[in-house]
Amino acid sequence: MDILSTAFLVALVAGALRQTTPLLFTALGGMFNERSGVVNIALEGIINFGALAAAVTVQLLEAPYLAQDPNVRIWWIPWVGVLAAIVAGVITAWIHAVVSIRYRADQIVSGTAINMLSFGLPSIVLLFLYHNTTASKEVVHRILPISSYLPFLQDFFATPLGRILDQSPLVYLAFVLVPVTYFALFKTPWGLRLRSVGEHPEAADSLGINVFLMRYQGVLLSGVLAGIAGAYLSIDQINQFIRMMAAGRGFIALAALIFGKWHPFGILGATLLFGFAEAFRIQIEGAGVLPSPILQAFPYVLTMLVLAGFIGRARPPAAIGKPYEK
Amino acid sequence: MSRALVPLVSLFFALLAAVSPWFVIKRAFGGKGVLLAPFGLVNPGGTRVPEFDLAWVPLAFWVWVALAALASLAYLFLKGRARVQALYVLGGLGLLFFALEAFLFYRQVAEINAAALEAGARRPPLKRYSLSLGLYLQFFYALFLLVLARMHTPGGAGLLVRYRGVVVPAVSLLLAMVAGGVLVWLLRPIPGLREPLSTYGYLVAKLDLVTYTFQLLFGPVLTLPGLFQSALIATPLIFTGLSVAFGFKAGLFNIGAPGQLIMGAVFAMFAGLYLPGPKLLVLPAAIAAAALGGAFWGAIPGWLKARFGAHEVINTIMMNYVALSVMLLLLSKNEWSFFGHVVHFPFKAPGYEPKSLEISEAARIPLFLNLLGFKGAGPGELSLALPLALLLLLLGYYLFFRKLELGPRVLASLAAAVAGYLVGGLLPGIPAQVGADLASVRLNGAFLIALFSVAFYNFYMWRTKHGFELRAVGLAPKAAEYAGVKITQKLVLTMAIAGALAGLAATHYVLGGGIDEYRFKQSIPYNVGFDGIAVALMGQNTPIGVTLAAGLFGVLLTGGLQLNLQLGISRELVLVLEALIVLFIAAGGFLPRYFTDPLLAAEFLKRLAPEREKEVA
Repeated sequence: MDILSTAFLVALVAGALRQTTPLLFTALGGMFNERSGVVNIALEGIINFGALAAAVTVQLLEAPYLAQDPNVRIWWIPWVGVLAAIVAGVITAWIHAVVSIRYRADQIVSGTAINMLSFGLPSIVLLFLYHNTTASKEVVHRILPISSYLPFLQDFFATPLGRILDQSPLVYLAFVLVPVTYFALFKTPWGLRLRSVGEHPEAADSLGINVFLMRYQGVLLSGVLAGIAGAYLSIDQINQFIRMMAAGRGFIALAALIFGKWHPFGILGATLLFGFAEAFRIQIEGAGVLPSPILQAFPYVLTMLVLAGFIGRARPPAAIGKPYEK
Repeated sequence: MSRALVPLVSLFFALLAAVSPWFVIKRAFGGKGVLLAPFGLVNPGGTRVPEFDLAWVPLAFWVWVALAALASLAYLFLKGRARVQALYVLGGLGLLFFALEAFLFYRQVAEINAAALEAGARRPPLKRYSLSLGLYLQFFYALFLLVLARMHTPGGAGLLVRYRGVVVPAVSLLLAMVAGGVLVWLLRPIPGLREPLSTYGYLVAKLDLVTYTFQLLFGPVLTLPGLFQSALIATPLIFTGLSVAFGFKAGLFNIGAPGQLIMGAVFAMFAGLYLPGPKLLVLPAAIAAAALGGAFWGAIPGWLKARFGAHEVINTIMMNYVALSVMLLLLSKNEWSFFGHVVHFPFKAPGYEPKSLEISEAARIPLFLNLLGFKGAGPGELSLALPLALLLLLLGYYLFFRKLELGPRVLASLAAAVAGYLVGGLLPGIPAQVGADLASVRLNGAFLIALFSVAFYNFYMWRTKHGFELRAVGLAPKAAEYAGVKITQKLVLTMAIAGALAGLAATHYVLGGGIDEYRFKQSIPYNVGFDGIAVALMGQNTPIGVTLAAGLFGVLLTGGLQLNLQLGISRELVLVLEALIVLFIAAGGFLPRYFTDPLLAAEFLKRLAPEREKEVA
């Protein structure tokens, strides 16, 4: 295999963008809650629930249409799926928020509970809907890459650059969110307030900022973004929900968040690193260079190396993980 | 406590009891039941049952309504000693009445079955009859009255706060069961429903569905094979629960028990495959290897935290994935290509299923029944060796050698145990019959290792200097460091021991044949490492608590199999219950904060103290 061939590079870059997207969504979401002073280890569970909601919603919505005409394609169905994923993500994040902000629970234990819930509950729902415990039915209405919306650019999408850029709209959304979240967090009064309750809640409170409200907003926003990441996995990357589909992405996103120093552009760099590592692994998996289990462990080992090597220099929000008491 | 509480609870009790099934007269496979509620017989499946005279049930309902009304009135209008006495009397009467109802029901069923058999029926017409939700409610309502009475005696007001270690998990369990019940109510249809039911019948049937779900889940406690099977499933949970609890005590959150378990299994497999020698040496070495594997895997995140400050939560999770890869590498294939060179591994057994070769005879842990002297199903003799050894161990530790220092005390007790084993082995055994269902349960000696680990946890944590330092680090790291504890060393050591405890769970699966064969199989249920989190939290990190919580989950997981069989509800319901329990315990059971915060609890109890002093004076 020629590492420098155009085909290899195109596949590598395009794959890297696809692998980066769910991590980027999740890490940007995690940035909001960590900046507001709440640890959200439940990101993994939020992705799982988002993926489940998206796949199930799309499948239930499309079933009656497909029963009439198996070839019908309706453009809005996958987007309702994304919406369902957002709703599921927000509900899950809300549980975490209530338990950890209102009831001052240990935030890591609460997040772990939600992750455990996201391993068990989908099985019950899947058994109820599809009579098996591990996967949903395959959906027909996936989110398609942009070439299918722009048929007149067929020739461009056949070129190497075109093949790299021919991604799902969600991929574009993830990358657009980087400057948007930067602006929201560092250039608006709302962002200043959010950061202040994560750094020094007492001081923020004395200035009349509602600490609880800001923290709720931070956690719920993470639910929105991690939920979209879930939808991306189940109705974009592939076409069904599989149990424990997040496969550690929530935790890797947390590591990327720390590696990216709680900053949107840092997070972009960190998630791109993980995305490229994963895409590279997928590309060389078939070549017999190393046994596939060793390659599969690669992103996880990389996460640990990143955490060990760089955390010393990064400074987390000062009040992170501490419940606020008025 | 708000004055309205008791009338509200009483009202809720009466309303719920009115729409609950009180008795299940007969239940068919698939959960189809004939239900008796206070306002009529509900028979969703149209099952045929003999004439059943239970006219006293509506009457009993009104007795309970009267009792609840009296209790409310007594609580509202009586004062002091009269109120306490009234509550005690009513609670006691409630318990008696509950027992009477149960007795009447069972006698009636027995009479009908006897009559039918006499009349020539081949099988008793009423099968799998039971008490149901209505009766359970009565029992707990009576208990509630008694606890309430106790709380209004002098010095009793702090009762619940003082026992908060039990109250918080119990409330969380109850809440999780309610949430699980709602889930079942929403997702499952009424079993065997033939014709539409009235609203009342619908409520009764749905409540029966929920009750039956939990009857199945808790069912294993009623039979000996069920208990054995529960102990079998509880064994690895004790190990992983102790592992997580060990971390918690030092302020560390060990989510890495699954990976540590896998590495324990890897090391145990190496030992089991390659160690030569007699059983007396190989078996302890193999057990030690399992602990070593887990300790190695646990120490890495501990070291990363101590050296680089990397948070152990993410690292232990990552180590789980890496351990999975190690397992795949060893078990899924025997030929791997490294940079074009083909390397052969000697571990995987031939065949489709990914599992290792069988470990040597010498490294196998015997089955529990064999330890008790039985040879398998059929008649046998219960040897007194093991019971006597355990008895002497406990007696020695708690009675004979109390005056000694810890080290000699433990040694002397162990010596007593060995003596007991030898003497017991020479005594004649007790003849007993072993059923086939009991003999098929693969409960093995790893259960004893688990109990010894509980003892180890207890001694290490509360009887040694190291344990004291460890708890100090958990409570106040800075104070501990100031007092001379080497924090970094402590972190690595704690994670290593926590890992070793999780690794020992592999003794059950690999050395003990917990999953049917004496091999390291890829189907090893490493997720018990996550269950360990629930066990540790439920057990409040105490040795007894962890053991009991593991037992509880062992029972639930065993019952979960029946759940799938009878009602088509996924066994994962138990996982959901577990997750909810963890969530609710994290939230302190939604109880006031003096239940979870030891400082606030002390303050709360202090505020009540003057009352107690008055009583003494």
